[in-house]
Amino acid sequence: MDPDTAIGGPHDHFPSTQRWLLDAVAAGLPDEALERVAALYWKPVYRFIRLKFRKDNEDAKDLTQGFFASALEREFFARFDPAKASFRTYLRMAVERFAANAHAAGNRRKRGGDVEFEPICEEAAATESPEAAFDREWQRQLFALALDDLRAFCDSAGKRLQWLVFEAYDLEAGERASYAALAERYGIPETSVTNYLAWARRTLRGFVMERMRGVTSGEREWREEMSRLWI
Amino acid sequence: MDLSDSVLDHLRQVAALPDLSGTRYELEGEIGRGGLGVVYRARDRQLGRHVALKVLDAALAGEAPLIARLEHPAIVPIYEAGTLPDGRAFYAMKLVAGARLDQYVGRQTTRGDGPPHLVERLRVVRRVAEALAFAHSRGAIHRDLKPQNVMVGEFGEVYVMDWGVEGVAGTPAFRAPEPGLDARSDIYALGALLEFVLPALPPPALGAVARKAMSADRAARYADVAGLLADLERFQEGLAVEAWREPLLHKVRRFWSRNALLLWLLTAYAVVKFVLFFWGRR
Repeated sequence: MDPDTAIGGPHDHFPSTQRWLLDAVAAGLPDEALERVAALYWKPVYRFIRLKFRKDNEDAKDLTQGFFASALEREFFARFDPAKASFRTYLRMAVERFAANAHAAGNRRKRGGDVEFEPICEEAAATESPEAAFDREWQRQLFALALDDLRAFCDSAGKRLQWLVFEAYDLEAGERASYAALAERYGIPETSVTNYLAWARRTLRGFVMERMRGVTSGEREWREEMSRLWI
Repeated sequence: MDLSDSVLDHLRQVAALPDLSGTRYELEGEIGRGGLGVVYRARDRQLGRHVALKVLDAALAGEAPLIARLEHPAIVPIYEAGTLPDGRAFYAMKLVAGARLDQYVGRQTTRGDGPPHLVERLRVVRRVAEALAFAHSRGAIHRDLKPQNVMVGEFGEVYVMDWGVEGVAGTPAFRAPEPGLDARSDIYALGALLEFVLPALPPPALGAVARKAMSADRAARYADVAGLLADLERFQEGLAVEAWREPLLHKVRRFWSRNALLLWLLTAYAVVKFVLFFWGRR
């Protein structure tokens, strides 16, 4: 039996190294907490601001930067109440308030507010609400970070071949090669292809959960967010 | 790393699938999702049978092993419990063919005989209550009783499924208001389940039983499931239920309907005697 896949055998997910978000803040590590939040939420916030307030690329970047830069000053974490909403929702609403204030201030400066914004020539702008786009980018970024973790782990643990098989199959945007074709390409048995894929997916799942742990307030919120993530 | 929508969706899907390599099970498809995890249809390769495989998001905790040992005709038998390589806990359970209670109550059969009669609905609720009473006697509670967690099988068998583990949030319409869940919280959910299966204008006594079980004040509910069951039995036998102080008129009507034959005979006897009395005097 493949030791990687044995029930009750060695696990390839790791004991958690991430504190819950608010625990990190309470432990006097607000910068670390903010770093995690910014790593995951920078792109979703940027995209949300672009779509919601119809900002151009540079303005959206400035606003996003401004939001994260001022987060600690505004006691951002202290105001978060996990009983009222998930951290994701809380953050989106905070961004909305922040960007709306900045937007209003910008309009006042331009005397009258009859400002024309650069149109967003993206299909998503027409088909997706800013809130849905925010959630979608959040999912995308979460997986992107977990994939970085997985690749780094494969490199350091001598599992380069596992990564290559996984990359060739699961990260392929076009038509996927068959297991047999991958086995031939990498000179391994077909069963190894399926085992490598199972291992990589399992390990990816572990990294996704780990990243999520760092940006949620506790077990319950974490579990709810995870259940929204899977299809 | 830039991920296209299609790759992202693929990853969301494959990373969620339970990794069953190294187990005796083969995944066949998803059956449903609950608060704590997903139930899949799977095939047990060793025994060549189909099972329902519940994969939990959380680790196997609290009383789950206790629930796995509950053996009752109305509790879905758990064949195996364990941990997958990704750390998720799973149960392999009997795969029940039938309908969930919410579907069963609202069903229209092909014969056009409509939804089940009140007597049949009460039979299902009583079966659920018996399973709960048994579990409570073994120190286990359900935590998330609702129509979606009750299956009515092809032969009328009733199964209570999805026994909760520590930390389950419950379902708002069936969840007792108190923060900490215990056996009386299950009684609340059972009352809500009873209310769910009752018609829009239920017999007042049954409505009262459901309301008593669903009292916001835990102390005002039935002390145990047996108390609720006893009231249901009383109702079905035409007796007064403890949950309802019935008006005099209702008492008389119930007495009449319970003793209808005897009363009709007595009435007929009295009428005959009366007629004969006057006939004899002519």
